[in-house]
Amino acid sequence: MEALSFLMQGLSVAMDPMLLLYALIGVTLGTAVGVLPGIGPALTVALLLPVTYGHDPAGSLIMFAGIYYGGMYGGSTTSILLNTPGESASIITALEGNKMARAGRGGPALATAAIGSFIAGLIATLALAFLAPYVVKVALAFGPRDYFALMCLSFITVSSAFGDSARKGLISLFIGLSLALVGIDQLTGQARLAFGVPQLLDGIEVTTLAVAMFALGEAFFVAGNRATGDDQVIAIKGSVWMTAQDWARSWKAWLRGTVIGFPIGALPAGGAEIGTFLSYAAEKRLSKHPEEFGNGAIEGVAGPEAANNASAAGTLVPLLTLGLPTSATAAIMLAGFQQFGLQPGPLLFVTNPQLVWGLIASLLIANCMLLVLNLPLIGLWVRLLTIPKPWLYAGIMVFATLGTIGANPSPVELAMLLIFGLMGYLMRVHGYPIAPVVVGLILGPMAEQQLRRALSIAQGDVLTLVGSPLSATLLAFSVLALVVPMVLRMRGKGQMLSQLAAEED
Amino acid sequence: MSGYNPSQRRPDGAALAMAGLLAVLGGVILWDAARLHQTGGYSGVGPGDVARWIGYALLALAVWSGVAAFRETPVRPPRQDAVSVLWVAGGLGAQILLLNTAGFAIATGLLFAFTARGFGKRNLALTIPVGIIFALVVYLVFAGLLKLTLPAGPLEHLFLGK
Amino acid sequence: MKHTLFAGMMAAALALPAHATDYMIMAPASPGGGWDQTARTMQEVLQADGISSSVQVQNVPGAGGTVGLAQFASQNAGKADQLIVGGFVMVGAILTNASPVSLADVTPIARLTGEYEAIVVPASSDIKDINGLVEKLKADPGAVSWAGGSAGGTDHIAVGLIAKAAGVDPTKINYIAYSGGGEALAAILGSQVTAGISGLGEFKAQADAGALRILAVTSDERIAGVDAPTLKESGLDVVLQNWRMVAAAPGITDEQKAAISADVEKMVNSDAWKTALETKGWANTYLAGDAFKAQLDADIASTSTVLKDIGLVK
Repeated sequence: MEALSFLMQGLSVAMDPMLLLYALIGVTLGTAVGVLPGIGPALTVALLLPVTYGHDPAGSLIMFAGIYYGGMYGGSTTSILLNTPGESASIITALEGNKMARAGRGGPALATAAIGSFIAGLIATLALAFLAPYVVKVALAFGPRDYFALMCLSFITVSSAFGDSARKGLISLFIGLSLALVGIDQLTGQARLAFGVPQLLDGIEVTTLAVAMFALGEAFFVAGNRATGDDQVIAIKGSVWMTAQDWARSWKAWLRGTVIGFPIGALPAGGAEIGTFLSYAAEKRLSKHPEEFGNGAIEGVAGPEAANNASAAGTLVPLLTLGLPTSATAAIMLAGFQQFGLQPGPLLFVTNPQLVWGLIASLLIANCMLLVLNLPLIGLWVRLLTIPKPWLYAGIMVFATLGTIGANPSPVELAMLLIFGLMGYLMRVHGYPIAPVVVGLILGPMAEQQLRRALSIAQGDVLTLVGSPLSATLLAFSVLALVVPMVLRMRGKGQMLSQLAAEED
Repeated sequence: MSGYNPSQRRPDGAALAMAGLLAVLGGVILWDAARLHQTGGYSGVGPGDVARWIGYALLALAVWSGVAAFRETPVRPPRQDAVSVLWVAGGLGAQILLLNTAGFAIATGLLFAFTARGFGKRNLALTIPVGIIFALVVYLVFAGLLKLTLPAGPLEHLFLGK
Repeated sequence: MKHTLFAGMMAAALALPAHATDYMIMAPASPGGGWDQTARTMQEVLQADGISSSVQVQNVPGAGGTVGLAQFASQNAGKADQLIVGGFVMVGAILTNASPVSLADVTPIARLTGEYEAIVVPASSDIKDINGLVEKLKADPGAVSWAGGSAGGTDHIAVGLIAKAAGVDPTKINYIAYSGGGEALAAILGSQVTAGISGLGEFKAQADAGALRILAVTSDERIAGVDAPTLKESGLDVVLQNWRMVAAAPGITDEQKAAISADVEKMVNSDAWKTALETKGWANTYLAGDAFKAQLDADIASTSTVLKDIGLVK
């Protein structure tokens, strides 16, 4: 097998001690910067790209791969420990991960995230190496109507992250959808809800909203609860490591997360977040402990974390096979390739196999390095929670604003951070879930644009929405996802009706 | 539910306020949507249509919230310490106002100190210098080593020698 | 009211103390994009060749560059060490966003690089040449869906110009806007749309691999290495270049302008600049002085007309 021998060759090159050192520096830098709220993998790679400049291509590429995977991974740590996602793909991780950390199980949560990321990264990188040409065919077959159907499925399945009250969950979601309207409508160039403020024309940044609602909202909430003192966090209870039961509950979630995340990452208009939403919903449906969801279910950390790392590898599929940069991160990666005078494209696999396989080998090595670096650090990370709160939260506020200031130092952006932070705080106080707001902001524009594109291509024919096998299947799944739980509830009506009555009165 | 007289109980104020807010938000969106040119082109769905759907959904949610305010038992929110929250928010406000004049370190140092104040470290004479030094280190690492463009003030110029 | 409040806030807040740097280049976009890369390449070359001892890059993203432009124009009047990178996209964005600040409020120095647009179809398409596409467009404009960049951007403007030149009502074009080049390219490769339009560089690799067919390019003359006619020789009088430029602050003296122009010229003629352009695949379309001024005015006039024709600007 030619591919395999190329991979072995790539691995043997990358095993050079000097190059391993580059890999280590890469993952360390990537993780360190990726931990910061608001600085995702794209900005991390963009910032650190010049650092790789001037080294030999092999070393730079390896460092680069390390930064990419490190940046992707770094977001989960703060998500779990401090309820402040480092980037939008880690939002779902915070839901269960932070609950675990609060119950003193931060160690196992971090471990399942690290090992899940490793396994997903490993499988997805191998899939990238051997399946990329096939995966990309499916990805290209996805047209606007298929994306629209995928968004519908995401909307419905992600509602399982809404918490107990359907009313509050829907209100949160629609607040997110309203915020998504702000800015220039991409398809016609008209400004909506911008009120003449030029800074609003580009809409509300997902990272700004996520950092504000999660990191700042959390800080306000903890400060506000100081009086009652019921926000005690236990740093460690039991072992820092995963128990046998944790393993048993995690491994399937890792694999499912990988299977969901990789193809969605490969979709040109997919995005890592959607994989995490779907993975979370799948775990909640399939879990034997559904009652633990919302209170720290380990599957809810394992699945989405695996999904977001798998989709990071998936993003490279269109980049390496077609030269398509399908995300901000991929666009920066492209710039990185160009730094060495390489144009990724349909011919890269043919014209420059050493390089492609070298990169894939580097990704594998970076992935291992990440595990080696992070597992021993878990004990240390967990101790973050033992820092006295005034210093800890003061530090969180500094880093939360640093991300925004670094990306766009405009007072308007910072004012938005403050306003959304207070909004997140008030919503927490009154029991409205936060995640749906961010979900609405992410999915809303995607769904709207794809719907309008699909209809425009079909010149207004609504039937086009079910006109492809893909879209019809996905919409059928959405209907099932909506109807089946309802039917089940009707059947087990005893419990459900009493619950309904409780809510009505 | 039947035979129950809602007036015997005070309505849930928070849910009522939410109903009001949603109604206002829905109204603003509908007003804004009406202002847009309907250039839906071939799709038949223009930028205003989607906004309008969301606007109507918000109005419906406002009604639902309003009804729930009278029917559901209000969940008492946890007691909040408003002064602490204001200190943290004030820290952010100070940072926004000072960032581009006083530079990253001073503005962020104040944010640090005010946040610590909100969490119970009252001694600003200690926390402000600590915060400024901390922010300066952060500045030197991120602006110096990573070339992140952060607003510079007198302190930053002093340390970067520019 | 809100406007003046924000303007005041920005002006007060952003009165940056003067740097002892030779140049501060504003890239009115996020890190990583074309304008940012242009600014950072300038930074590299200006420093490496000793034209300037210290150059800093500042990113002010937003609304097709108009947020950065407004900030640049209002704060830097008379400052000779301030530069801003911009481009053709800005011309359209100023009009569609009804920006209060325009390119007349800064001092354009020179056009640096440029790229021509290419019109493509997937290899499997039954459209063989540009005339085939034009005929389809004339027969039923709605049936020809075009994938390209954001509404009102270069790609959209080019489609409007083509329709006009072909005698088709520009408001009738079925243009599908995508946010990034990658997403539009995926839609074209997947045959989701009839045709695609974007910068030649976006399509070159795919065309070489045989996945796309380039029907025409928007240049004045044929481009070496590209097997496609120009629109002009196909009977459509459309020439369009998506250029990037550098401008200086408003209100600088003629001597200051001359000094900046000389520095930019030195930079463009350096080997480092030529190498950088080559590795990035940018064409050198350097144009300065009155020739650039005339070209700029012509571009603004034609863009304004076509945006009105498409219906994006009232």
